Amino acid sequence: MPWRLLKFGLKSTHDEPRFFPEAKPLKSHYDVVIIGGGGHGMACAYYLAKEHGITNVAVLEQGYIGGGNTGRNTTIVRSNYLTPEGVKFYDTSLKLFEDLADDFDLNIFYSTRGHFTLAHTDSALRTMRWRAEVNKHQGIESEVVGREEIAKAVPYMDMDCAGHAPVMGALYHAPGSVARHDAVAWGYARGAYNRGVEIHQKTRVTAIRTQGDKVVGVDTDRGQISCNKVISMVAGSTPRITSMLGLRTPIEIFPLQACVSEPVKPFMDTIVVSGSLHVYVSQSSRGEMVMGASVDPSVLHSTRSSFDFVEGLTDQMLDLFPFMSRMKVMRQWAGMSDITPDFAPIMGKTPIDGFYLDAGWGTWGFKATPVSGKTMAWTVANDKTHELIEPFRLSRFADFDLVGEKGAASVGH
Amino acid sequence: MKLLDCADIGKRPITEFDYLGEIRIPPSDADESTWADYVFNRNGAPGVLRERWYHRPTGRWFIFERDTLTDQIIGQVDASEVRYEEPHYEIPA
Amino acid sequence: MKFRLDPQPLEWIDRSESVSFRFEGQTFSGFSGDSLTSALLAGGQKLLGRSFKYHRPRSVLSMANHDVNALFQSSDATNIRGDVTPVSEGVDLRACNVNGTLANDKDRYIGLLSRFLPVGFYYKTFHKPKKFFPYWERLIREKAGLGEINTSWSATRQPKRYGFSEVLVIGAGPSGMQAALSAAEAGADVVLVDENPRIGGSLDYQLANEEAAAKVRADLKSRISNNAKIRLMEAHYAAGWYTDHYVPLVGPEGITKMRAEQVIMATGVMEQPSVFRNNDLPGVMLASAAQRLIARYAVKPGQRAVVLCGNDEGYRAALDLIAAGVEVAAVVDLERVGKRGEWAKQVQAQGITVLDHSAIYEAQGKGALSAVVVAPFNGKGCDAGKSHVIPCDLLLMSVGWAPAAQMLYQAGAKLGYASQAEQILPRELPQGIHACGRLNGAFTLEQRLADGSRAAREALAQLRGEAVVSELTVHRDTQSHSHPWPIIGHPKGKNFLDIDEDLQLKDLINAAKEGFDNIELMKRFSTNGMGPSQGKHSNMNGIRVLASVTGKTIDETGSTTARPMFHPVPVSALAGRRFRPERLTPMHQWHLKHGARMMEAGQWQRPEFYAPSTAAGAVTAAQREQSIVQEVQAVRSGLGLIDVSTLGKIEVMGPDAGRLLDVVYTMKMSTIKIGMTRYALAVDDSGVIIDDGIVGRIAEDRFYVTATTSHAAAAFRTLSLKIQELGLNVRLANLTGSLAAMNLAGPASRKVLSALTDVDLSEESFPYLGMREGTLLGYPVRLIRVGFVGELGYEIHLPANAALEVWEKLMDVGSAHAIRPFGVEAQRVLRLEKGHIIVGQDTDGLTNPFEANMSWAVPLKSKPWFTGKPSLARLKNSCERRLIGFRLPQGFSPKSSSEMPKECHLIIQDGEISGRITSIAYSPSLGRIIGLAMVDLPLADANVPMQVKVDSGAFVAIEPCATPFYDADGARQTADLTEVA
Repeated sequence: MPWRLLKFGLKSTHDEPRFFPEAKPLKSHYDVVIIGGGGHGMACAYYLAKEHGITNVAVLEQGYIGGGNTGRNTTIVRSNYLTPEGVKFYDTSLKLFEDLADDFDLNIFYSTRGHFTLAHTDSALRTMRWRAEVNKHQGIESEVVGREEIAKAVPYMDMDCAGHAPVMGALYHAPGSVARHDAVAWGYARGAYNRGVEIHQKTRVTAIRTQGDKVVGVDTDRGQISCNKVISMVAGSTPRITSMLGLRTPIEIFPLQACVSEPVKPFMDTIVVSGSLHVYVSQSSRGEMVMGASVDPSVLHSTRSSFDFVEGLTDQMLDLFPFMSRMKVMRQWAGMSDITPDFAPIMGKTPIDGFYLDAGWGTWGFKATPVSGKTMAWTVANDKTHELIEPFRLSRFADFDLVGEKGAASVGH
Repeated sequence: MKLLDCADIGKRPITEFDYLGEIRIPPSDADESTWADYVFNRNGAPGVLRERWYHRPTGRWFIFERDTLTDQIIGQVDASEVRYEEPHYEIPA
Repeated sequence: MKFRLDPQPLEWIDRSESVSFRFEGQTFSGFSGDSLTSALLAGGQKLLGRSFKYHRPRSVLSMANHDVNALFQSSDATNIRGDVTPVSEGVDLRACNVNGTLANDKDRYIGLLSRFLPVGFYYKTFHKPKKFFPYWERLIREKAGLGEINTSWSATRQPKRYGFSEVLVIGAGPSGMQAALSAAEAGADVVLVDENPRIGGSLDYQLANEEAAAKVRADLKSRISNNAKIRLMEAHYAAGWYTDHYVPLVGPEGITKMRAEQVIMATGVMEQPSVFRNNDLPGVMLASAAQRLIARYAVKPGQRAVVLCGNDEGYRAALDLIAAGVEVAAVVDLERVGKRGEWAKQVQAQGITVLDHSAIYEAQGKGALSAVVVAPFNGKGCDAGKSHVIPCDLLLMSVGWAPAAQMLYQAGAKLGYASQAEQILPRELPQGIHACGRLNGAFTLEQRLADGSRAAREALAQLRGEAVVSELTVHRDTQSHSHPWPIIGHPKGKNFLDIDEDLQLKDLINAAKEGFDNIELMKRFSTNGMGPSQGKHSNMNGIRVLASVTGKTIDETGSTTARPMFHPVPVSALAGRRFRPERLTPMHQWHLKHGARMMEAGQWQRPEFYAPSTAAGAVTAAQREQSIVQEVQAVRSGLGLIDVSTLGKIEVMGPDAGRLLDVVYTMKMSTIKIGMTRYALAVDDSGVIIDDGIVGRIAEDRFYVTATTSHAAAAFRTLSLKIQELGLNVRLANLTGSLAAMNLAGPASRKVLSALTDVDLSEESFPYLGMREGTLLGYPVRLIRVGFVGELGYEIHLPANAALEVWEKLMDVGSAHAIRPFGVEAQRVLRLEKGHIIVGQDTDGLTNPFEANMSWAVPLKSKPWFTGKPSLARLKNSCERRLIGFRLPQGFSPKSSSEMPKECHLIIQDGEISGRITSIAYSPSLGRIIGLAMVDLPLADANVPMQVKVDSGAFVAIEPCATPFYDADGARQTADLTEVA
């Protein structure tokens, strides 16, 4: 038994320190205001404080810490992207993830499982090879594997897909992992709070005040704040924030749904994704099967669930895992994905001086949490775009200089 | 499953439709930034949008006004209301 | 069956039919109509399961599909809920989540360690040192999870059906039954659904012995069964509420997807436990659970009971126990007995001791309840110093209710805490949603019936579009039926708040103190409500605890979001029947008979290649390669025939047809001469290539358009969109399915075809890129001189029903020229030899025509408009890459396949990724390997050898070269080569 547990048991009282501050009034001025208390916002606050010594920071969260997409995703971490810039960015994130538990002294249940993206057509297999080659060239463990190797890792999967679109091969990404999503946000929040950052939950931003093209403050439902730097890290609420400034972006919001089964004893170690079948699945440490599909087909600013989603998902899932027909779906939920035309994020400075954007996370935001926080903190501290996020600048659309992730259009969770 | 209530074909499940998104009209003789704005930018904030939907079983396009926050269909729009002239664009000399 | 009572008036069991089954290796018998739990209890098996974390002994809690500590597994199912699953003959069950046997669970000692495992402990440990975490994780994962699954189980799928109703009433208790009747009697088409196998709800267990209820029951049930407007769906639960009143009803035979115009929620309330030390011991159960056991299954829940009351209903339960022959040692009331009603008087009249202003301080017993410790209670806590012990083997908890409001929340209703009722009640209901009965705070039978009628009246008014003022609150009880704080602290803990997750009172308090003082954060940190019952008996107490810790009201504290499903739904029912439609061309069977290996192309099946006639079953890579080479050679030297029926085929008709095509395609189509075709390239608004095909002109106002297989549907959609956007006078006919098509290609094609058609095929009258109509074997056909594969050839478009006959005839006549059918793979090689791109293979999601070397297809100057033009005008001079042709040295022969360049291998220049092979193949016509690659500029223009990184990691040099690789001047597509050959 780890000694920490012994310590808990030998004390009669539970005197663990608070993770997060108690609610208190807003100050009239902060050096930096971060809108959005999800993983990204908390990570940015953490790195601002830890690496740049900027602590007069307020994180404003309209709900509760990690209550947006941070707490709604299916927790997959991977770096097997298609473009060199994407690979570099997500690989930095993955490496940060690996050390987060130590960094926080908080177990985020970072669990390396291996990640299979199945190919059911020769064109999908070609795209897999493309991703694998780009990955390998950048030192990322990624390879195209055949049916035999897949069957070794997932012996209970029906490779013939019940006779339709059999599995031809897969992209295997050994570092693919899952983590306890909430704990990531909590760890960053606690670290930021312990370094002096203020975290204000249930605080909704109603306006961003500017003078000329410069940010001067933020209005909230709990009062006004003056500040010269505002970072929007609100994923599915991004258009609501950017429209306050009249800033036009390509972001549209589509719900992304997921569900979990009742818990069962562990049988599945890997993460399996099939773009053709629009399913991805892994088994959580609680024993639940965590399952998702692609985003809903039409714009909606809502986290409602649809029955069509769970019907389609389970139908397709049985092609791969017939025995799951005897399990039960326990709960479904949804997040709001902020989708860009090139499936890459929008990060960094904007035409409005002092307004920084971290958005366009689509269905990939969780895995980018550490690197987004770190690079955005650097960008804000230096008022200069960090080189890792340079390709993701907002102005790329006006310049017709899009990121090539769309080349591998498939489910990419 | 959501229903789209259409004056021409009645209430149909949303899964019978393909979604195109908000009606956008390509500008004529647009400068580079106007054109890029048309191509890429969207009115992404929650609100009432006029959107095009393609009904696969009938092969027809319909336009609905929808509140993207509540998912309520507010009304149907006749195509003639949002018709536009074929644009033109001359290459700058 | 030593605990079986004499027949009860409303019992569900059929005593004439015995059922025997096995549990934990022992044989039990029950009656048809028993649940697994009731049969086990009747047989004296009190211990039903072990708890999730500490493996504590557990038994019945609710008998209402919330008993997640009585989960069983059999050889073909897992996580079986004993409280509601009917017994079935011969089933062999084990308890879930035990290490060893249920009785001797080796993990039962984990409970002794509970003080070492405070709330969220796993976040604070196991991560140092990092390398040991996988070991701990493995251990945690094995301890977590409930039942086991068997990965060799086959797929079971239950068909689904659709249902429609004007009024859907969910819950067939008194208010639901009355609502259904009132609605039906007013003329509405009603569906009444209840998760239990019989309607009646609490009328049939809580009020089973009430004389006044008997008449109401008989009347409601007979009127319902005689009302043709009511469709009754027993044994179905509503899985959730979805947009536009779409409510999947899950039953034993599968799901009915019910679409209702009005939904009346009569879902009732879920009884809530009291929190005190050892409140999880077998023998401690909700009062309603005991009433269900007695009334439905005639099972005696214990011998000597104590009843804990926070409301009147507990006294009713005490009376029911007495009637069932259970000795009631005492009733313990959290408040003053004087405020209770008639039932309390009856209890007192029977001489039962009532200890009021008291609570259960703790339960005692080893493995099962043997006594309770009762202590004075002041509404907040117990005075433990004044406690006394009452021996008993049964404790009923009747302290309050939580609304089954999950679907109200899902439908967007607003609810709030009513302090008079001490219950969360509806405040605002959306259009089409109604609530009645105990869910709405109506508790007496009279109130419930009146409230049911009221809800029906309001639903009917909305159904008919009449204005109605809601009287939602009119029939609510003025008396509370829930105690605001049935939660008793104890220094030694084990006072469970969530028995799914083994959470104790201190866990929630400590979570809040650590900053997780938002109801959602508390849930996520402590896992309260995350177990299989999804908080049905823990959320309300969780809210009360958090409100108490933070000093906030229940409304300020809020509630966690209630998401579907209401109960877990089997995947077999959700998935439904498997439906994977495939499209087959008219020649499909012919292809199979002739050795075709099929590949999927969207929904279509297409021949990939034709295996040699000797190859049965699997084909070796060498055989495949050889077949493809032979098919290519046949086309180049004699004749080949390919089925291209999967192409999109659209006729475009009307005065504005030319204008439409000019908008959709980059090149000018309105100037095509009648009887001629033109290459058709489509880009999107941003200038990215999305499709290619051909456009041919049939008449001044009629065109024929083909599109790639994968883009056929989208092409039709785009054309029809532009018609609407621009208001053009054009009609479209989608002929993709009704026409078939085949391409007869090779030097002998003209000779073979001319014998069969009345179309003049001479070069003068039917030139390259021409299109002619005529007949072939008497069928109307459209012939197109295409050049995709680079030989003289004719695409034959004809009615699908004629295609097979024509195909066979061509194969027959062509045999003189060694005709071969060829598949998609040979076509890929043939087109590659000609340098033609395949959209989606040689292009990616961002490729524009300039990058694809197709500036010739982008008339920026001569056309005023086409989709994407301004983007292409801008991109023309800013491309950063270009498609090039390349070849490998003559005689290149790698030692192994890992040395062979493949599609999507990268071109590496100075250590940087500088390009990618998009197509590569051995060209039989050239005798060497050729390909296309998308290469960064300026390298693409440098015309120098490039290095490709192959699977082995080695580099292979490729030489850029001009395209087409083969027949660069296109002579073979036009010349009549049969004459010169």
